[in-house]
Amino acid sequence: MKDLKHLIYFEGLLENADNALIEKKKKDGGICLGYTCFHIPEVLLNVDRCFSTRLRAPNTGSIDIATYYMSNYTCEYARALLERAIEGGYRFLDALIGVDACSMMNRSMEHFEILQVNEKPDFFVTHTDMPFKITDYTVEGYRRQMRVRVLDRLTEVFGVDTSDAAIRKAVEEHNEVCRIIQELSQLRKKENPVLTGYEFHVLNLVTYVCPKGEILPYLQETLEEVKKRKPDKKNPYRARVAIVGSEIDDPSLTKLIEGCGALVVSDRYCFGSTPGREVIELKDDEDALTQICRHYMEVSECARYISDEKVLQRRETSDRLAKEFGAEGIIYEQMKYCDYWGFERALVSHIMHDEYGWPVLSVDRLYNNGNSGQLRTRVQAFVESLEIKRIHKEEGKA
Amino acid sequence: MAKVQYPNPKFFKAKDNIDWKKQGENLMEVVGIFGDMLKETDWQQYGKNCLSVLKSDGERIKGEFSDFMALSNDEKWDRVVNGERSLGRLYRKGAMCTVRREWRGVVDTAYDFWEWARMWGMLLMTFSKDLIPAMNSALWYRWMISYFCCHGFMDKNIMGLRGSNLRMSHAATFSIFRYVAENLVLLSKADRKNGNSTELNKMLFTFDEMTMGQIAAGFPDLLAIPHQLLPMFLVSEIDQLVCIPYIDAVESYGLPSDTCPVPSSECGALVIDALPDMGSLFISSSMPCDGSTMASSYFARRFPNIPVFHLCFPVRYADEETVQMGADDIKACIKAIEDATGAKWNWDHYFECMKRFNQETDLELQKWEINKSSKPQFIGPSYELFRKWNYEMDGGIDPRVLPEMQKMNQMLQRAYERGESAWPERKMKYRALVWSCPAHYYANFSNWLANCWGVDVLVEMESLNYTKHLETEDKEEALRDLARLYERMVMRRHTNGGYQNVVDECWRQCEAWNAKLVIMYQNVACKNMATVQGLLDEQGRQRGYDLIWVEHDLMDPRTVSRRTMRDKVNEYMRTVMRAEPVDPSLVEFEDEVCM
Repeated sequence: MKDLKHLIYFEGLLENADNALIEKKKKDGGICLGYTCFHIPEVLLNVDRCFSTRLRAPNTGSIDIATYYMSNYTCEYARALLERAIEGGYRFLDALIGVDACSMMNRSMEHFEILQVNEKPDFFVTHTDMPFKITDYTVEGYRRQMRVRVLDRLTEVFGVDTSDAAIRKAVEEHNEVCRIIQELSQLRKKENPVLTGYEFHVLNLVTYVCPKGEILPYLQETLEEVKKRKPDKKNPYRARVAIVGSEIDDPSLTKLIEGCGALVVSDRYCFGSTPGREVIELKDDEDALTQICRHYMEVSECARYISDEKVLQRRETSDRLAKEFGAEGIIYEQMKYCDYWGFERALVSHIMHDEYGWPVLSVDRLYNNGNSGQLRTRVQAFVESLEIKRIHKEEGKA
Repeated sequence: MAKVQYPNPKFFKAKDNIDWKKQGENLMEVVGIFGDMLKETDWQQYGKNCLSVLKSDGERIKGEFSDFMALSNDEKWDRVVNGERSLGRLYRKGAMCTVRREWRGVVDTAYDFWEWARMWGMLLMTFSKDLIPAMNSALWYRWMISYFCCHGFMDKNIMGLRGSNLRMSHAATFSIFRYVAENLVLLSKADRKNGNSTELNKMLFTFDEMTMGQIAAGFPDLLAIPHQLLPMFLVSEIDQLVCIPYIDAVESYGLPSDTCPVPSSECGALVIDALPDMGSLFISSSMPCDGSTMASSYFARRFPNIPVFHLCFPVRYADEETVQMGADDIKACIKAIEDATGAKWNWDHYFECMKRFNQETDLELQKWEINKSSKPQFIGPSYELFRKWNYEMDGGIDPRVLPEMQKMNQMLQRAYERGESAWPERKMKYRALVWSCPAHYYANFSNWLANCWGVDVLVEMESLNYTKHLETEDKEEALRDLARLYERMVMRRHTNGGYQNVVDECWRQCEAWNAKLVIMYQNVACKNMATVQGLLDEQGRQRGYDLIWVEHDLMDPRTVSRRTMRDKVNEYMRTVMRAEPVDPSLVEFEDEVCM
């Protein structure tokens, strides 16, 4: 296939946490809010002059200082963020919106405060409490946390308009991005897709880290380009896989998997498009904040939700996506030391195989995996097993 | 309100429905296993081992006798009156128990044996209430066998103790063991594999061991058992090897080995069917940490016949904005219990129990006041365990506990007024705090610290929990208070809700207890604590505290053995503190398989 016009530009935006579009927006008076977790409704961080960037630590090398503070058997993502923060890589932030959803990420955020990694006088870190299940009172609790710990703080510190009207305006722009990503995502369903998993990963990721208004024109142009794109005559991939699991903000992982011959057709992980790029439908007869909170709780696929219906939802979503996008197998992955996904992966990788009938590859991985030989070997073996299954199926043996 | 006897006799009287055919099949399987073991035993080697033990006993007795005879008359008299001094002698390489009980001097040994007999009496009386299912549990669950060694557990927790501390420790142990024995009997009756009492199961709800028992105070007609407490959590303090099969099973299943051994063992126990199938409802919990939150889906999968209510509390508990959400979830939990059992929440009974719990909290605070003084009185593993059990599981529900605590406090007060000390004077050298969670497989580590190095652990982090009185009149506020209490359960009170609760709090407590030494436990799988280790280390040094970092793996002694834990302290005491051991026989000894 012909290369996408803006792919190198998009890749460049992902080379640093602080990218050209963030700088541009800041020069225009934007307030940059960092966050790390889906539990924080991204759209709320894009009200008025604010814009969100989901924090990454691209090209992480040594994390020795963070390891001193947080030990060597904790989430590498949390440690990589802290290391980058200590190095001064997040000085561009105006505030950090933290969640107390997983302990390691929470501690990482706390170190931002304690070690004073950002010298801006108004810089603050806010910590929010997240519910574990969906009920009327947990929706209300969540709403109050977002109002008191996030929106009111933004108003107090930066004088930001966080009214219902401002929130609804932010939702409109957010939805515009979501629609484009959704449309791009659908193109992955084709038997011989016009978009690789890697390209989609890059496109999706830039929507998380760049100011929405700044990235939208590039996305629109890319969508039109992809629609007209001609696929290779012969599909170069040997199998199609869906990925399910914890945080992936490094497109080189997708590149690695596709380098082994498995086209990644579905991305059900943190920083992926499911959840995160669903259009938010707002009604007029209820305040926008409550609706947004409920939306995020309902679409969340975080393993932290422990109620029975959410546990089932996660399995059903994985199954549905794999079917809809024509996957032949599922890769269940977790960031090493992630407790939530460690337990989830161990159990559900069995369930998806035994009860839903999916071939499953279950892996734990480091934060940066682009060059992991071990992971490559495992994916290669998985691709071969999928091919063998297909041959057996064609021969009527299975 | 009609008085309800505790424990309610109808629980014990509930009719069993034992499936004898199933028991017979299980018995045959067990007999088969024993048969295989007997066949595979190298009897020649076994004979050699027995001879070796006899020889070693002979040498030990000879050695003890000659050592005694070599003492001066004054020293001999001291040993007769005050007991032995070389406790390392009680351990033998490769043995699962100590070689004998400790000689504590005439009076204390006599008292100790009295308590030993009293404990046996209580256990026999309790088990006789429904002996068959209880004993039959030993044929279903390997963990039940470990409970046969509960006297050994009592002994190791009181090793080296004398006088009032010994007496208070026995009193504390008795209360816990009674709770354990009663619940073992009832658990066996209810277990659908075993006693299979439909009548009892209708009156029974179980809850996650990692939550608190106070919610049961509102249901005097119901029995509430922490589901995994006896098969896993508590028994892992008695027997250091008991959780290994659970951990291995779940790791073979695919769980990463870096997760906390508590939820890992819970899930592993489910994988190898080591948990009883009982109750009308299971209350799972999001506490105390991420790993425990996730264990509930394993439970729900193993026991699809038991409905599960997920009791979830806000993590940022100091934020009063979150309290109502916790209270609302308690309300929902109460309704779930009512729906599952048909029972009704009883406010009068709840308030009565919480009034008692408030009194017990006051008694606890009195202990702290005395232990903070220059003459601490009630310290050691028995007290540490009692505090956690009383706060977490009893919670004012059992009316027998309050008078027992009052009696303990009377002893405490008298001992303080008489100027006694918690340990013999030579063992009172360093005032210390324990921070983070202690290793289950080394439940009496604080005991070793005192006996070997004279390091006296005045209080553990896990003991320092919620001490405000709970509301006992206003119903809405009572639920909010209950939420506040639950949110500050053991461990969670410190490891959740922000670093201030564990870092700043540590220094505050060091000051309050006048302790310069901190035994800084490092559970290698506890992410909540691991993520503040740099801060603790940095700030501790700045403030001039001596921090001894002791790694452990909570329930898996293979990762960090007891000996390795001791070595960390030995090295610190020798090289940094330049100290001499109080009892050199305890510096190096073998207890790799000792319970």
